[in-house]
Amino acid sequence: MTTHSSPFDELKNQSNDSINYHSSVHDDINKIWLERVFRKHYFNCNSNIEIDDFVSQREFGFRLFDGHIRRHLNFNNKNELVANIIKHSPSDIFCSSSRYHNPSASIDQKGWIGSDLIFDIDGKDLHLECAQIHNLTYCKKCKLITSKVHLNCIECRSASIQIIEIPCQKCIKHLKLEVRKLIEILCDDFGIDNNSINIYFSGNNGFHIHVKDDKFFKSTSIKRSALTQYLLGKGYLTDNLGFRLNGSDKVTILSNKILYNVGWRARLMKQLHLQLKNHRIDEKFIKKINSIKETSKVGLLNVISSEIENLSVKIDPNVTMDIHRIFRLAGTVNSKSGLIKFHCLDLESFNPFNDACINEDSMVEINSKIEMKLIMKGMSYRIKMGVNCLPEFVAVYVVSKGIGDIYIQK
Amino acid sequence: MVRFGNKDLARYPFLREALSYVTKYDFRLEDLDNSEFHHLVKKAERKIEQYVFNGKLEYQIDYNKTHEIIVQEEVIIFLISLLIIKAISIDAVTKKFALMESMRFEKYLIEDLDISNQDDKTIKFILYKIFEDLFKTKIDLEVNIYNFYKIKINDYLDHPIAFHEREWNLVNRTVNSGYVYLDGSEIVRLFRNELNLLIIERIKKMTPERIPYLISAISHSMRVNWEKLYPPLRINPHNAVTPPCIQHIYDQIDKGENLPHPARVLLGTFLIYSNKSIEEMLELFKRLPDYNEQITRYQLEHLAGKRGNPKKYYVPSCEKIKLSNLCFETKICRGINNPIQLVSRKNN
Repeated sequence: MTTHSSPFDELKNQSNDSINYHSSVHDDINKIWLERVFRKHYFNCNSNIEIDDFVSQREFGFRLFDGHIRRHLNFNNKNELVANIIKHSPSDIFCSSSRYHNPSASIDQKGWIGSDLIFDIDGKDLHLECAQIHNLTYCKKCKLITSKVHLNCIECRSASIQIIEIPCQKCIKHLKLEVRKLIEILCDDFGIDNNSINIYFSGNNGFHIHVKDDKFFKSTSIKRSALTQYLLGKGYLTDNLGFRLNGSDKVTILSNKILYNVGWRARLMKQLHLQLKNHRIDEKFIKKINSIKETSKVGLLNVISSEIENLSVKIDPNVTMDIHRIFRLAGTVNSKSGLIKFHCLDLESFNPFNDACINEDSMVEINSKIEMKLIMKGMSYRIKMGVNCLPEFVAVYVVSKGIGDIYIQK
Repeated sequence: MVRFGNKDLARYPFLREALSYVTKYDFRLEDLDNSEFHHLVKKAERKIEQYVFNGKLEYQIDYNKTHEIIVQEEVIIFLISLLIIKAISIDAVTKKFALMESMRFEKYLIEDLDISNQDDKTIKFILYKIFEDLFKTKIDLEVNIYNFYKIKINDYLDHPIAFHEREWNLVNRTVNSGYVYLDGSEIVRLFRNELNLLIIERIKKMTPERIPYLISAISHSMRVNWEKLYPPLRINPHNAVTPPCIQHIYDQIDKGENLPHPARVLLGTFLIYSNKSIEEMLELFKRLPDYNEQITRYQLEHLAGKRGNPKKYYVPSCEKIKLSNLCFETKICRGINNPIQLVSRKNN
């Protein structure tokens, strides 16, 4: 393929007639506007779209603003991909974690080569208390949006509601904590090189961790499930800590075992303030166990279960196990938020509301359905009910979240 | 260069190096009718009887001979055993023999990998010869950490036991820097299945020009005995419908396959529900290659609520059966959520 060609050359030259999309719906003014803004964004900022050298072996999927999803797409190179993104301006763009001999064939005919290891950490799986306060409730029946999370619409009492996630800095902080826990286990326990791990903000309320490591590239779905169980601490037996607990919290010390103090064992021992001497249980250890048992109100088994829960990484296991899944392509916009799936080179300093916003900043008017405050790109925006004049990157967030409509004067 | 001692080779007659001890003398299976081999044929016959009919591992290597003869005899006994099993030609017998023989080799491996018996070099050599050469899996000895063995996570997960038994799940293993750490007996347990398959494979691959008369006679008599003891399964004389999941288990038993734990629980609870006595159930379970009367009796009584906790276990639901990969649903299963719902139905 040409190395100096532009995306538009690719569009002119392409013979891929299979991508024959319907144009987007013309009855939804928000979608029409978003499609236009996304196209402008991809036209101006396509260098941020991140794809590896195996683009021709990946399956792509486009979700269009008319709601249609096209899977099994295949492009020869990045230019061809970008040209099609600009042409179709999809609401969401996905790419397979797997590589195939025939990426455009149906799943059973694709010829699976292998798959990167992907982990998904989603804010809603953290069940944070703050989310109950700052998220919003949208009633599908009476269309009312209210602050806080409610089980029923406060106006019409309908149970047909949808939660609009508006993550706060605390949510992001907790998500980062989960990412750090994941990275620690991937490196320390699974022996994965830190350089093979890429961290991405999902574009909404989570992180995707992509691992490109030959050791696990060919791993089957069932092997990946074993890795997820490990990360979740699911099915962990207390016998691994050198003692057995029966239903009534009776402790039987398994004293002859050599307990190589690494992995889950080391993490749990640290949390429980237990120490092994030369990887073996001694009197001091037994004393400490008995002391936890006696002083705990909830019982030793519950203490351990709670520590396992704290130490487990809150990944979605189904995502990691599914080797034929397509994931949001890095550097593209998430239509649930208007933010970009962003490659976090420095997790500590990363702030989605600064770093993952699109660049477009012309002023537009939106009609907000609720009052709220947003801090984006270092600026505070106090949004009032009704018409507000905002930069496009803020307006895209508000419209994508469904809390405001683009306002066009008649 | 460390070499296997002759004693070690006698324990592992399936290794290429051991086999060379007999092939260099132009040994042919067809010659087994010669009286010079009769004592070895007898020993092989006794071993098979103990394994297949009594479920006992009593075989002993006779070390009161020169090293060379010990190895030669052990290799020949091994080959004779395979030939007898091949001639019997019953799947269930082959599988039971393979399981018992692999358990014998497993016992030797545990002893030989015990760091208090062996020096590091010998252990490394055994690991290389058996695991890397034969089973294509690299295992390292981690001398600095209490002589643990380590295997790459991905290689570890190739073994079904890593998924079938909770204490063998990755989450319950010692994992560090991309490796799973195991002690000697655990490493060997991990390979039990492979040893078993290796022996079955060797039996399948045997193609002698003719079966010696003596071997034919022994295998014929064993075949008759086996068929007398274990006639083909007739499960539902009253024309009742057998749920497909249960039928699949019966078929597995008929083929001499071992059953995973959830399948045993399903069968046990189903038979208890069908009002079978413990003795009737044992008749069925004793066809399993790893049958142990004491353990099976205890477990069945436990399921029936007659031992320990008086809780009686119920037949698992179709959903649970599906989760354990034991569901072989057909159209007769339509609308049911537990296999026992089919029991009252009659075949047309």
